[in-house]
Amino acid sequence: MSVEAEAAAVGRTAGHARTQEVVWHHRHLLDVDVVTWPEIELIMRTTDEMKGVLARPIRKVPALNGRRVTTLFYEASTRTRVSFETAARNLSADVVSVSTATSSVTKGESLVDTIRTLEALGAEILVMRHSVSGAPHLAAEIFGGHVLNGGDGWHAHPTQALLDLYTMRQHLPDGDLRGRKVAIVGDILHSRVARSNIWSLTAAGADLWLCGPATLLRGMDRWATAWDGGAIPGHGRFHVTSDVDAAVRDADVVMALRIQRERMQGGLLPSLREYAARFGLNAERVSLAKPEAIVMHPGPMNEGVEIAPDVAISGRAVITEQVANGVAVRMALLYLLAGAHEAAVGHEAAR
Amino acid sequence: MSPRSKTAGSATALGPGIGEVVERFELEKAWLVDPVSGREGPGEIVITGGVLESVVWLEGEEAKGVSDRGVIVAPGFLDLHAHFREPGFEDAETVATGTAAAAHGGYTTVALMPNTSPALDEPGVLERIRSAARASGSPVEVLAYGAVSADRAGEQLSAMGELADAGVVGYSDDGAPVRTPTLLRSALLYAGMLGLPVVDHAEDLELTAGAEANEGYVASIMGLAGWPAAAEVNAVSRDLAVLADALIDEPRVRLHLTHLSTAASLDLVRRAKDAGLPVTCDVTPHHLALADEWIAGARRWSWEALGPDGSSRDPWADGALTAPPYNTSLLVNPPLRTPVDAAACLAALLDGTASAVVTDHAPHTVVDKEVEFGRASSGISGIETALGVLLALVDAKRMPLARAVAALTTGPAATLAGWPAPAAPPAARKRGLVEGAPADLVVFDRADRWTVTEDSLRSKGKNSPLIGRELSGRVLLTIAGGRLAYEDPGAGDE
Repeated sequence: MSVEAEAAAVGRTAGHARTQEVVWHHRHLLDVDVVTWPEIELIMRTTDEMKGVLARPIRKVPALNGRRVTTLFYEASTRTRVSFETAARNLSADVVSVSTATSSVTKGESLVDTIRTLEALGAEILVMRHSVSGAPHLAAEIFGGHVLNGGDGWHAHPTQALLDLYTMRQHLPDGDLRGRKVAIVGDILHSRVARSNIWSLTAAGADLWLCGPATLLRGMDRWATAWDGGAIPGHGRFHVTSDVDAAVRDADVVMALRIQRERMQGGLLPSLREYAARFGLNAERVSLAKPEAIVMHPGPMNEGVEIAPDVAISGRAVITEQVANGVAVRMALLYLLAGAHEAAVGHEAAR
Repeated sequence: MSPRSKTAGSATALGPGIGEVVERFELEKAWLVDPVSGREGPGEIVITGGVLESVVWLEGEEAKGVSDRGVIVAPGFLDLHAHFREPGFEDAETVATGTAAAAHGGYTTVALMPNTSPALDEPGVLERIRSAARASGSPVEVLAYGAVSADRAGEQLSAMGELADAGVVGYSDDGAPVRTPTLLRSALLYAGMLGLPVVDHAEDLELTAGAEANEGYVASIMGLAGWPAAAEVNAVSRDLAVLADALIDEPRVRLHLTHLSTAASLDLVRRAKDAGLPVTCDVTPHHLALADEWIAGARRWSWEALGPDGSSRDPWADGALTAPPYNTSLLVNPPLRTPVDAAACLAALLDGTASAVVTDHAPHTVVDKEVEFGRASSGISGIETALGVLLALVDAKRMPLARAVAALTTGPAATLAGWPAPAAPPAARKRGLVEGAPADLVVFDRADRWTVTEDSLRSKGKNSPLIGRELSGRVLLTIAGGRLAYEDPGAGDE
């Protein structure tokens, strides 16, 4: 098949999902909270198609030929940025990469001015990483194109949650998470990965457990209690605990989150050593999970802290699969957002 | 007056420009609210030569068709807490635009906070503000607080005695708390000696470092750093403990806690008042009517977000998120709290624990607000919407109309008068509809709803979370000290 034909095939099967009658209508992707389950399934199917593209000798299709994708990263990131840019290039998009170290941002230019400038320079899809929660929502209000959130503050990291979901589905029978136990262990309080995963995994029907020391779980009990009775349409309950054995026992998926050294300075943890001993995913602890359970980590890892080195490279670990799936998921989202641009009538609000 | 007001009241057209004496004004068949006499009902007023010549209460046949849902006359409002940003931040507001905004909100007296640049820590800055007020031509009376500490740095006392001589109405380091308990004790004693109060912004800065939104359910979901209620409770506890100590040495010490926002801190004040401590406090319209869920995109009033058992409802579960999240106009210090806290603010106002509603009018430029949520400047431009917000409480039957008017007039005036200033400012005495006194009043039409827009706000600060919302009670006319302060542009059309 020619490259063009492949692109057309991707478009036919994924773009409008004739069989499921789900049409992508979101102008931006700021978090997974506003994405319905059928829409998540559409993203998953589109990712399947993109995985097919990536399996071929020439990993490139012209789907976004001539479209301009700009990455704007206000926070250091290697894997997320490279993943987005690889995804965009695989779709033949023109990629402009702006990092705050080399831009006018160091001269004090505001986010709003930066985005207006990038738009004037032709940016159509803006992939953004920012340390302040809600920053992409501000971008979405002023940017004429599409905003794809690459992580904002403690708030959201939707592409990570979607690649996590995709990876879990690959390893579960029929790709069905309903009733499957997923344990996320680490610094929940400061984690945008955890927050986005709460939305996507409760939508998937997983039996979600969030685990960490009490200082890094603040507010989560209240949240879990509010959702306990199935209050939120389309989202199930989840559990919050500091008992790591209870969280991991019989889990189908165990995910470790990065522990940052700053947490010690803030008086939230006594030491990394103590964290590793009490909450680190070591072989013994992981053995409490189901025999076929997978071990995940959004990266970058502190080996020997939240995850033991032997666990990180064990047969259970799917950490490099997450990275590979990340490219496919981001291709799918860039593709869907660009397609929505053509189809959009008027401007959809950010929410 | 305007065709809009014809349904309930009618009056002769005005004539004079802003700042000019209202030579002759008559208003027939309006609803008068006089919180000093405690009377409200149908009536008529006549102003001659700037003086409220007659106040006539109508009865029987004459009173027919006049209700408290139409044109209402009340004494001019008094705001104990506003920021007009001059000198130093004239991009955000000036005394001229601030007084224009105040008059549009029905206010005839404002007390300005001293966090200007330079800070109002010596009489020269006060003279600049007064000079700007005179130059503005507005008859709105401008009062001011002096800073507690020199340059508001929290280290040594400001020129408190000279400031008292120059006529400040109290001392505050607002924008920040009085930094240490030791400095607060000194400030209370020295201010008490001078017959003036200390007004504290109660916040434990150690607990709020980096904080973005009220710690709780909404902040958790939104990924915003929590601003704990404990930060306010802790600060109020400190202040009350220091006040009790200072009272032993100086019987005239007075403490006023401004913009309290939590159920627990208001309860501390309630108990302190019961125990006889010389403390007063106020609440703001936004802490009464808005809640943290607005940051997530909810736009219902705080009382609409209460469940039948008095707990906060879940805006996600209710599908109540209708606006884009992270609107920086909602970033305010102290933060918008839960609907339960908002209900506690109302309860405190109704039981007298809080003696006034203050706007904490805090205008900001677009540059300071059109930024990432956690990086925006704190504050709400609120002096033009306070009346409308309180009327929403009245419309929802959460508060009687007369009580809402009192919270804007006699409440703050009594607070001012209760401070043992050697010569209480005239503002403290002029909050009734008193025949023979200079006319100082506001006329608004409760039935006339208006939409808050950037253009409708006279303030330079467009940072109102109520932009786009419809409020009751368009202000038709504000007269301050017998002179015209504001007249609705639609007035006199007929």
